[in-house]
Amino acid sequence: MKISHLGLLAGLLFAGIVHAADAPAPTKLNTTADHSKFKELQREFGSGSEVTKACLTCHTEAALQIHRTKHWTWELLNPATQQRLGKKNVINNYCLSAGTNLGSCATCHVGYGWTDASFDFKSQENVDCLICHDTSGNYKKLPNGGLPPVKDTESPPGSGKIVKAIDLAKIAQKVGKTSRDTCGACHFFGGGGDGVKHGEMDSSLASPDKEVDVHMDATGLDFTCSTCHKAPAHDVAGSRYIPTGKDTEGAHIRGKVDNSNPATCQSCHGQAPHKAGAQPAKLNQHADKVACQTCHIPQFARGGVATKMNWDWSTAGKLSPEGKPLLNKDAKGHVIYDSRKGDFVVAENVTPEYAWFNGEVTYTLLGDKVDKADGITLINALGGSAADGRSLIWPMKVMRGTQPYDPVNKTLVMPHLSGNDDTAYWTNFNWEKAIATGMKAANAPFSGQVDFLKTEMYWPITHMVAPKEKAVGCNECHTRGGRLDKIEGIYIPGRDAHQLLDLIGWLAAGGTLAGVMLHALVRIVRRKN
Amino acid sequence: MKVHRLVSTLIACGLLCASTLASAYDADWKRGRIYYRSVCTSCHAAQAIGAINPSSMSKAEWNAYLQKDKHAKGKDSVKQYFSKSYRASIRSQNKAADKFADLPDDELFEDVKLFLLKGAKDGDAPASCG
Repeated sequence: MKISHLGLLAGLLFAGIVHAADAPAPTKLNTTADHSKFKELQREFGSGSEVTKACLTCHTEAALQIHRTKHWTWELLNPATQQRLGKKNVINNYCLSAGTNLGSCATCHVGYGWTDASFDFKSQENVDCLICHDTSGNYKKLPNGGLPPVKDTESPPGSGKIVKAIDLAKIAQKVGKTSRDTCGACHFFGGGGDGVKHGEMDSSLASPDKEVDVHMDATGLDFTCSTCHKAPAHDVAGSRYIPTGKDTEGAHIRGKVDNSNPATCQSCHGQAPHKAGAQPAKLNQHADKVACQTCHIPQFARGGVATKMNWDWSTAGKLSPEGKPLLNKDAKGHVIYDSRKGDFVVAENVTPEYAWFNGEVTYTLLGDKVDKADGITLINALGGSAADGRSLIWPMKVMRGTQPYDPVNKTLVMPHLSGNDDTAYWTNFNWEKAIATGMKAANAPFSGQVDFLKTEMYWPITHMVAPKEKAVGCNECHTRGGRLDKIEGIYIPGRDAHQLLDLIGWLAAGGTLAGVMLHALVRIVRRKN
Repeated sequence: MKVHRLVSTLIACGLLCASTLASAYDADWKRGRIYYRSVCTSCHAAQAIGAINPSSMSKAEWNAYLQKDKHAKGKDSVKQYFSKSYRASIRSQNKAADKFADLPDDELFEDVKLFLLKGAKDGDAPASCG
């Protein structure tokens, strides 16, 4: 007994010693810093800014880097058009504009407390590190300028809905690299809900399979957003305000300085991406006129989340007989009417529309003249044609809408939508009051009259790349009535017919055949002689 | 004799504690999400029972379910579906099982548990299967 116990003891000790000698000490392999070990983060935090202060004790330049980015300023100058763009300035045909609605909109600002013009853009402590670096998935911001709930909070005020407090210390101790979840917390939910705005970005990309996106496939390549959208000095590459229509550069190579957009297909795949298959050379030849996305994203909104395709603000404001706002849903549970917002058309698995695009985008901004009599107003007009040598045929989500404008001054308007005050449209359903407040804040004239006009907004599609087996087939374009039926300025075999050209082709083919046969006949006859 | 037994038991306990502490595991809810959706949901969805949203139960209910370790009303155990042997048996048809083929059973179980508790109806981020 005694011997057996000693033997057991010796065995355990030996095993432990051998294990300790052979195996390296356990550690985290996905980071060089375990933030839970930092004393600065081992305390209670009463606000997001307190967390930022702690972050800045080590990451001394981070906030100043953020201050230089469009994620902070919500503003950028397009050097080609000299238009001042960014979320702060543009008008769209979803929720129309940020304007006086910052309390809600700024839940997606990388800062704390932006509700009006008094926000201090020079404050480093106003930078929100956690919105991008949370890995716990528990971080939240309230529609009060994006402050996190450090205690249980009724939000919106008076709604009776309680948002549970979050533990900022726990979240701060788990910070890490950005992920599809952190970027997606805003970019998947643009326009007021999951998948509403982009069409090819929604919550299905948080953990997608290969069918939804070959690059982000969670069990495959598992790209994060920053795999393509590189962010040196916190400045994320690849802007929809100044996109790359045609990347003529080669694939990026480590060590080689390359200032071209790292988020294009070509920045990895180069200019001749097709190496195998039936006709790689023929497919590569297409890359001169056709964007990669045109063939490789056959549909968008493929992950089971519907996207908005049409938003009619002119029908907003209907109330029930009891004077209550209405909310109607379709058979699948999608909201198709909301008294606060009007009628919606939503769709999944949408086949894109196609257009020539060279990367130039010109927005209709506040103050630009618009007229209902002109037909459809383009929220963003895309540059591009078959002839300019800088364009490719791109797939687009075309968002169509009917939105308020000032028929006297002939301008789009920035209404005050959200808020608990008397003039917010979502509270009082009065367009005149809401627009007067919004335009006054924007320092823009408003006649007091409101009408509605039809608008279109173009969204180049670039995510939700399908497996190559699901790429658009030749006969989907090379046919009459196919995907590229409306594309002008280019001859597409199978779609286009020109009598003279066809005649020349047939004559050439027939002549060649006749020549070969005649030649063969002469050879046969001469051999017999 | 008693002294020897006591000493050896104490040392053995010490070794076990040290081993446990050394391997204290920081669960990864995102990995749990992938495994739950790709393995649990994909199998459930193909059967009559259908997919089960994490948000269909509370944290207490998920804890109790995982503690009981009874799958399919006790026909087999829950934990076996996190075992390397199970993953090996389906890895040719299931990319998640293949990707996490070499992960220790306990770690994978903790990953999925964290995802379920986080995604429970009273969790920090109630989650669906999709």
